[in-house]
Formats: sequence, C-alpha cells, structure tokens
Amino acid sequence: MNTRYSDKSPLYLRIPGIVGKILILAAASVFTAFPFVWMVVSSLKTKADILNTDIFFPSEPQWGNITGILFNSPIPKYILNSAWVSLVIVALQIVSGAMLAYALVFLKFRTRKILFAIVMATYMLPVAATYIPSYIILANWGILDSFLGLIVSSTVSIFGIFLLRQGFMQIPKGLVEAARMDGASHWRALWEIVCPMTKSSFITFGLMNFIGTYNNYMWPSLITKTSDYFLVSQGLRAFFVRDGAYGTEWALVMAASAVVVIPLLILFAFTQKWFINGIGGETGMKG
Amino acid sequence: MAEIILKNITKEYENGFQAVKNVSLDIKDNEFVILVGPSGCGKSTTLRMIAGLEDISDGDLFIDGERMNDVAPQHRDIAMVFQNYALYPHMSVYQNIAYSLKIKKIPKSEIDQRVHEVAKSLGLEELLDRKPGQLSGGQKQRVAMGRAIIRHPKAFLMDEPLSNLDAKLRGQMRVEIADLYQRLNTTFIYVTHDQTEAMTLGTKIVVMKDGEIQQIDNPTNLFSYPVNKFVAGFIGTPTMNFFEAECAEENGLVVLKTVAGRIVMNDAKAAKLREGGWIGKKVTGGIRPEHVILSQDGENTVFSGKVNVFELLGSNAIIYVETEAGMIVMNTSQVQVYEHGDKIALSVIADKVHVFDPETERTVTN
Ligand SMILES: Nc1ncnc2c1ncn2[C@@H]1O[C@H](COP(=O)(O)OP(=O)(O)O)[C@@H](O)[C@H]1O
Ligand SMILES: [Mg+2]
Repeated sequence: MNTRYSDKSPLYLRIPGIVGKILILAAASVFTAFPFVWMVVSSLKTKADILNTDIFFPSEPQWGNITGILFNSPIPKYILNSAWVSLVIVALQIVSGAMLAYALVFLKFRTRKILFAIVMATYMLPVAATYIPSYIILANWGILDSFLGLIVSSTVSIFGIFLLRQGFMQIPKGLVEAARMDGASHWRALWEIVCPMTKSSFITFGLMNFIGTYNNYMWPSLITKTSDYFLVSQGLRAFFVRDGAYGTEWALVMAASAVVVIPLLILFAFTQKWFINGIGGETGMKG
Repeated sequence: MAEIILKNITKEYENGFQAVKNVSLDIKDNEFVILVGPSGCGKSTTLRMIAGLEDISDGDLFIDGERMNDVAPQHRDIAMVFQNYALYPHMSVYQNIAYSLKIKKIPKSEIDQRVHEVAKSLGLEELLDRKPGQLSGGQKQRVAMGRAIIRHPKAFLMDEPLSNLDAKLRGQMRVEIADLYQRLNTTFIYVTHDQTEAMTLGTKIVVMKDGEIQQIDNPTNLFSYPVNKFVAGFIGTPTMNFFEAECAEENGLVVLKTVAGRIVMNDAKAAKLREGGWIGKKVTGGIRPEHVILSQDGENTVFSGKVNVFELLGSNAIIYVETEAGMIVMNTSQVQVYEHGDKIALSVIADKVHVFDPETERTVTN
C-alpha cells in the first residue's frame, strides 16, 4: 500500500491510481462505518425522529437516552457480565492455546502429526454442529444456565491455536533449546522466551477472542435463560423485545447498543498497533 | 567436572535415517575432546544427544556414572554454545547471561556479581545493556560463551562455535577458548568440521564419518598414524596425495612400484607388508605434500611431470604437479620459482609413506 517511495514513475502518471485507491478505500470506509454512525446518531434521537426518514441528525440531542441506559437499565450489568466472563475465557484460551501450539511446534512426539490433524479437522467443523453435543455435556454436568457453563464451554480456541502456532514457527528452535540448556522447563521456555517474542500474536489472539466472546449471541442464548447470566448481545435482545414488536423503543435500543460498544472501542484504541501487526503476520521481533 | 561415557550409541531419526551408528566414547574429567568430520557426519547429533536435545535411539549415555538417557536437558547440568549463538533477542546481554542463574533462584546480588565477573573476563562490560541485535558476530559469540560459563556447569558443549566468524576473529577466539579451558578446568566437547581448528585446539580428537567414529587420537598420532585413508585425507592441508602402487620384493627389499619409480620401505613397514601378505599385490600409497621432495638425480624419482600451479606462500610454496600418477601436491620450504609447464621430478621421504588396503582403505603399515 505504501507506494510513495517504491514507485518510480512520475507523479502525474500515478495520480489516477492514487485517486482510484482513495475512492475505493473511502467507499469501503463509508459502507463499514455508516451503520455505526447511524447507530450513534440515532441513539440521540427521539423515537419519532428515528422513524422520520427525512432527517439524519436529531432535531435535538436526547442525552437522556444515554444516561437512562447507563443509570436506569440492566445494560451496565450485562456489560460487566460480558467483560469478566470474556476476560476469564480469553485467559484460559491463551494458556491452553499456547501450550498446545508449543507442543505442536517445539516438541517431538510420535502422535504430533495426528494431533495436528485432529486440531485441523476441528477447525473445519461448523460451530453449529457442536451445539447439541456441547449442550448435552453441559446438561450432564449440571452447569447449564450459569457463568461456569459459559466459561467451561469456551476454554479452547482452535483459531487461537492456529494463530499462535503460526507465530511460534517463526522462532528458531535453537532459542528454545538454549533455554532448556539454561535450565528452563518447557513451561518457562514458553512464557519467558517464546511468548515475549510473539507478543503481537498473543495480543491479536486475546483481542479478537475477547471481542468475539463479548459480543457472542448464539451459544450463550442457547445455554442461559436467567437474565442474571446474560451477556450483552442477549441483554440487548431482551431489551429490544421487552415491549413487543410494536412498542420497541428504537432510540433506547440504539443508545444501549452504543454504550455496549464503548468498552471495545477503548480496548481497541490501546492495542491497535499490536492488533494490526499480528494480523499482518509480523512477530514484533525486529531490532 | 564430569566424566561422560557413550556406550554403543545410535541415533535413528523419525525418517529412518541413521545419523549416528554405534558410537562409543570415553570422555574423562576435564578433558578437551573434539568431534571433527565432514558436514553431515553426525557430530551435532552426537552432541545434541549428550545435551539431551535429541533422544538416544539405542545405547547408553553415562554422566558421572549415572545413566542419563531419559533425563531432561535442564537436569543434566551441561552448558551448550550453539553455532548461531541462540541469544534471546528480547533480553539484554545482562539478562541473557543471567538467565540460567535466575532460573536457579540465585539471589539477585550474587547474580549481579557473577554477571559482572563473567562480563569482565570476556570484555563485555560495556555491552551489558545492549540487545543481541545490536552486537557484532564476535560479541554475540562472547555473550553465548558468557551464558555458558556463568553456570559453572559439569561440561561445556560447543557446536561449531566459530564457524560464523571471519578468519581473523576465528583465530583469536580459538586462542580464547583454549585459554578458557585452562582457566575453567572443566570437560569440553567441541564440534567442528574444520580439521585445522581441531588440530590446534584438541588434545583428544574424534574423527567421524557417516555416523561412525573412524579414529580417536591426539593430533600428532592422527597426523602420523591415520588408521585409514579417510582420516589420512581428512587431516592435514593440503591433503595427502594418494597413488596406486604395487608392493613387490626386490633384492630382499620391500618396495612400492609406482608408474614412474619405486619407493623402498623401511624395515618396520616392510615387516608389516610381508606379514599382511601384500607382496605382489596392488596397494594404495599415501604421502603428505610436505613429505614430497625434489628428486636430485634420476635414480630416486617416484613421480615426474609438469608444474600445473605454483603458489608461493612466503616461507614455503605449494606446487601442484601433473604426473603420470595423477595430481601430486608438494609443500616445500626450498622456495624456487616455477612456471606453469616446467618439467619436474619428484621423490618422497620413504619413512613417511602410508600404505592402504585398496579395498577396505585401512592402513596396513601402522
Ligand atoms: N531431524 C532430522 N531428521 C532426519 N535427518 C536428520 C535430522 N537432523 C539431521 N539429520 C541428518 O543426520 C545427519 C547428521 O546430521 P548432523 O549431526 O547435523 O551432522 P553434522 O553436525 O556432522 O554436520 C545428516 O545427514 C542430516 O541430514
Ligand atoms: Mg552440525
């Protein structure tokens, strides 16, 4: 994407290309950003304003919508539920994923290839296909409709294992061997040598899975029915259908949605640099 | 400070390839042992099995009398210097050197004192805060050594530690490693493919080929009494000249008849050749370039031919001569300038001739 220095042709020849690029990116940005902007704008409207398609901006910003959601609704509780459950799940996923990826990359054992094939196969399985068996297992363990059930059913992330494995494969095996000779156990080598060198993979993993879990709707709504255990998406939906299809308070729904996204935006702002590095496949090992 | 014994050790990799075959080796306390051999002969594999980084397929490894086959590397108390140094890129030089002590939970103040001690002895004091990425090859090499030294391990393993350095630095580090050995008084096992390095450093050299030990000896004996043609050719530069000859008895003397002349064997060699029933048979002769001399008169000429390449190295010269018996290389200190194509007659110092079985390539005159 960085054409500034690499491109040798004169500027006037490059202008059409640059303009084209800008137009495409701008269009893509508008398409991606519009629903978000619309949500934010609508959260400050009255119900009547929202249903009136002639106006885009609120005739008068309804700050009350937001404060109502913040101080006078169950939404903050759902956010808290989502946040801590996601945090615990992601922590567990990172530990389990890192251990498995380490074994796949750095250990030699006879069943390594088979293990990798199994992981691979699991990745290809549609998530929906796992709902029923998972549900039955949780039911047998008696942890349906509980935080424990939510957490236990998500302790392993296959995507995360892949991401970390990809990062680990960039590390020379000699480094792990040197650590072993220095007296480090595999556990120490993983967290003190491998992990710091693949920081961006870990951060990408953590962030993507945190967002995914935080927003997750389908699975949590299958196994929880008590509103005490709702995550945000479920909470939003409950809120949405509270007054029946015709009574929906659109402005409040929009305000709630906007509030729910705030924690994610803050998180993303802090980790953006690593996030993009990790997806781009860099290990942050330069220098 | 460890005695290391390898007993009939074999390594077969997952793909079925046997990289090390039935290797037995006794390494005494405080010995400096060198594993040398061409690339791919199984030196690293052997070293890595001693370190515990590679499983032993067959045989036993004892360290200080204890069988270590199934002991994890971190419990063997052995330090290793890797060919590419394997420094931890995210840690400073200080942290790299200190890492093993940190794992052992040694008090911070003692770690600090020991790191500075080691850094001083290796000239690394100024670099302690740097990251490995900011070091030159020679400096990385020193850090890698420091990381090994600081532990006071039972033994040091070094896998081609100098091969990534330029020639000058290599010579310098070689001296430092020899010096280190004197100071530390610990068992060293050193791997190299460079026979010069082996000959200058080692007191006990293990020559390997295709996963098998060929000969274990000191440098002098390896040079003078190689057990087979491979060792004879591998040790020494330029390499030994080999030529076809026929062993014969003439007037009560045992001689090697070459295409252009004959070499009279001394009593000891004659006895060996008679004993082995070699009279009247074809053998392979071997003579080192430094034992090839100019033939003064026609009488003792063994090879004759034309000068192909003449290299003047200062106090000596290397002359490549195209002869009836193939290329013969002479290393002489009687420097006399030759031109390409000059005719030349060569003789050999008969006492220094090696005779090999052309089939098995074993030396028959030792
Ligand atoms: N992991 C492996 N799998 C299969 N063959 C290997 C493996 N590692 C090394 N080898 C083979 O074993 C032989 C010995 O290797 P190595 O011990 O590294 O040799 P050296 O250090 O003497 O150059 C080589 O032929 C090499 O190709
Ligand atoms: Mg090697």
